[in-house]
Amino acid sequence: MGLLQLGVSQSWWQLSMPPKDISTNGHLIDHLWNYTTMLCIFYFILVCIGLFGFSFLYSRKRNKTPYYTYGNKKKHLLVTAIIGAAVFLTIDLNITRISNNDLLNQFWKWPDPKTEKVMRVEVMAQQWMWSFRYAGPDQEFNTADDVVTNNDLRVPVNTKVLFHLTSKDVIHSFFVPNVRLKVDTIPGRVTRVWWEVNTPGKYDIACAEMCGTHHYLMKAQLTVLTEEDFNRWLATSEQLALNTNDPDDKNLAWGWKWEN
Amino acid sequence: MSGGFNEIHPEPTTFISKYLISFDHKVIAKQFLWMGIIFLGLGGMMALLIRWTLAYPGVPFPLLGGMLFPDSAGVVPPDVYATLFTMHGTVMIFYAITPILIGAFGNYCIPLMIGARDMAFPMLNMLSFWFAALSGLFVFISLLLPLGSAAGGWTSYPTLSTMIGSPGLGQTFWCVAIFLFGISSTMGAVNYVTTVITLRAPGMGYFDMPLTVWGLWLTAILNAIFVPVLGAGVILLILDRVFGTTFFLAGASATSGSGDPVLFQHVFWIFGHPEVYILILPAWGIVSDLLSFFARKPAFGAKATALSMTAVSVLSTVVYGHHMFTTQMSPLLTQSFMTLTMTISITSAIFFANWLGTIWKGSIRFDSPMLFSLGVVFVFGLGGLTGLHLGTVTTDLYLHDTYFVVGHFHYTMAASVLLGGFAGIYFWFPKMFGRMMNETLAKIHFWGTMIPLNGIFFGMLMVGYGGMHRRIYNPFVYESLQRLIPINTMITWSAILMGAFQIIFVFNFLWSLKKGPKASQNPWEVGTLEWTIPSPPVHHNYDVIPVVKCGPHEFGNPNLKNGRDFQYQTEELVQG
Repeated sequence: MGLLQLGVSQSWWQLSMPPKDISTNGHLIDHLWNYTTMLCIFYFILVCIGLFGFSFLYSRKRNKTPYYTYGNKKKHLLVTAIIGAAVFLTIDLNITRISNNDLLNQFWKWPDPKTEKVMRVEVMAQQWMWSFRYAGPDQEFNTADDVVTNNDLRVPVNTKVLFHLTSKDVIHSFFVPNVRLKVDTIPGRVTRVWWEVNTPGKYDIACAEMCGTHHYLMKAQLTVLTEEDFNRWLATSEQLALNTNDPDDKNLAWGWKWEN
Repeated sequence: MSGGFNEIHPEPTTFISKYLISFDHKVIAKQFLWMGIIFLGLGGMMALLIRWTLAYPGVPFPLLGGMLFPDSAGVVPPDVYATLFTMHGTVMIFYAITPILIGAFGNYCIPLMIGARDMAFPMLNMLSFWFAALSGLFVFISLLLPLGSAAGGWTSYPTLSTMIGSPGLGQTFWCVAIFLFGISSTMGAVNYVTTVITLRAPGMGYFDMPLTVWGLWLTAILNAIFVPVLGAGVILLILDRVFGTTFFLAGASATSGSGDPVLFQHVFWIFGHPEVYILILPAWGIVSDLLSFFARKPAFGAKATALSMTAVSVLSTVVYGHHMFTTQMSPLLTQSFMTLTMTISITSAIFFANWLGTIWKGSIRFDSPMLFSLGVVFVFGLGGLTGLHLGTVTTDLYLHDTYFVVGHFHYTMAASVLLGGFAGIYFWFPKMFGRMMNETLAKIHFWGTMIPLNGIFFGMLMVGYGGMHRRIYNPFVYESLQRLIPINTMITWSAILMGAFQIIFVFNFLWSLKKGPKASQNPWEVGTLEWTIPSPPVHHNYDVIPVVKCGPHEFGNPNLKNGRDFQYQTEELVQG
């Protein structure tokens, strides 16, 4: 019985922690989550003290005569107003401010391929797979030297990677739990996301938006490689692409001209 | 404010006019109640099938599996799984919660609590039920169609819900059902709004209305404004599906022109966010009243509660974009929706302050309606607070479309509304059917619901934070999610346990209908208008339209001398 397993709740708590953060700014999201949760626990404890405490103290047995008040005395209104203001000031304004700062300083600070070293990748989602496209030696997308992979994303460590994403058929969502990021891929639109990862290894990429019967199987693998390993893989793949890509294959030419 | 509408209608004489095509708001309320309870059972069964699949993928569903899915040896197949979670959401929201909370309580309570003989438009009311029933029929039929019913989630985002992703007839039936349902809701809403404005008993100002009526009235206003928006959305979807238009099509498959799938999301959530308040407002109203009734103390800050409910209704219309942060709207929209969403905290904090203020220094009677009301305060606390994580853009980037969202909206929309609905049923059952429900069974039902319910929905918050995303048939194809198997198993067994305890409710309900002890006129000793008339009320409710002289929450007035601790709304407020 599941309920009997409650005894091991300590380890359950650990089990429900999110997967290892491998990015340079994922900790911002974890920090904000923890901050919000701490404040929520604080206010929920207050609610519980009121709920259980008053239920205990003011039951019919313990308190025969209720206090006749509409709660519209000045001090009552003051207490209510203070509670409302406290919640808004301590939680809402703070988390909005933190989140907004994180967006402006990190998540929406799009790396510019013209001025800094940025790895660019085009992503196309379709039922039920992910395709990734690297520009190749000519640095132009949708040309014959592009490296194209399916369900296999390889990126270098400690490098900013900028993704432009779209979908061929229905809406999907590019979700990488280890970097705490998610962005929808929408037919007819290009959305974007960037990250910088710092831990080599293999991680899951999932589709988070319901996209049909086999939604649950739409997963890809993210492989984070060291700079040398990545360059070696890319060079080999570029050579392979030049040798084997058929320029007349329309299915292969799903890429588009990169626009910043 | 009793206008010319308020005449006594002749009592129906035939079976059909009495029970089927009835114009009587009390009969229509019961029709909605039965409809809601039947669909609640259906939606609950779907939930169990979903939960079983998530805990034991590939294992046949016990007992019924072989009968339901003979082709896969009793295992829920992936396409059926998609239909199940789509229809679970649809059925619960539109065909269980809405009929019970709005259809049943709205119809039953509004006229009785404001001292009216019927709704302002009795025939519209009758049509409202039959359109809902017709819509429900479409849902049933869609389940039997060759390719199954809709399977794109209850939100039915295009382009998945267009022919590109859902070629079956089921999705079209779903659209038609939702449109018919929209007609039903709009007719009901117009009726409720008019009734509250025109048919209040003489002397009853807006702040003399019970908070239940406030909640139902605000719900009706939101319904009247926003359900037609959904209607427009599904009509466009039907045009795309059947007539080859391309409002929502784009990408490689949009060969005959291009629209925008995100447009549907805007249309859907302009309706969809008010919808969650449409569902919760009646429960808030009921809870605000019941806490006062059973604490034997006036509702603390009743006026502030009513105004907060009004404020949250207005706010609910300008925050919908927080459902769409991952679609990358313009940064300005994203920031605006985040900030506006946060202001809802203020109104919620006022509700909690007033609810706890109401039971503070009360003389609390722990009857079953009160237990369920206190339960709502607990679960809505958890549900409301977890909304903060999702209203914040950066944390939402991680949590969006995970089980954290599922846990959050089940705490607010399912748990709070379900417990609020049970509170209402236990409270008004004596008035509706003239008999009392069994109190011991009711209390067992409360604890048997409350404890597993938290196991289910808190478990969902946990696996969601752990990274498990929504609507996946088998989460454990992801190695990183396999560690969550024990928590998923716990959730499933909690759900089975909670489902089992609902049998006690059904038994209690049916048994009490026939065998429950006769209810007195006012078994809970409450002063609102419906308790001044016999249980059940006569066909025209009030022989003489009552005159209201005081508020609905007059309890514990020390000047009361006649041995009662409350006074009826028809009595002059006793002064010292």
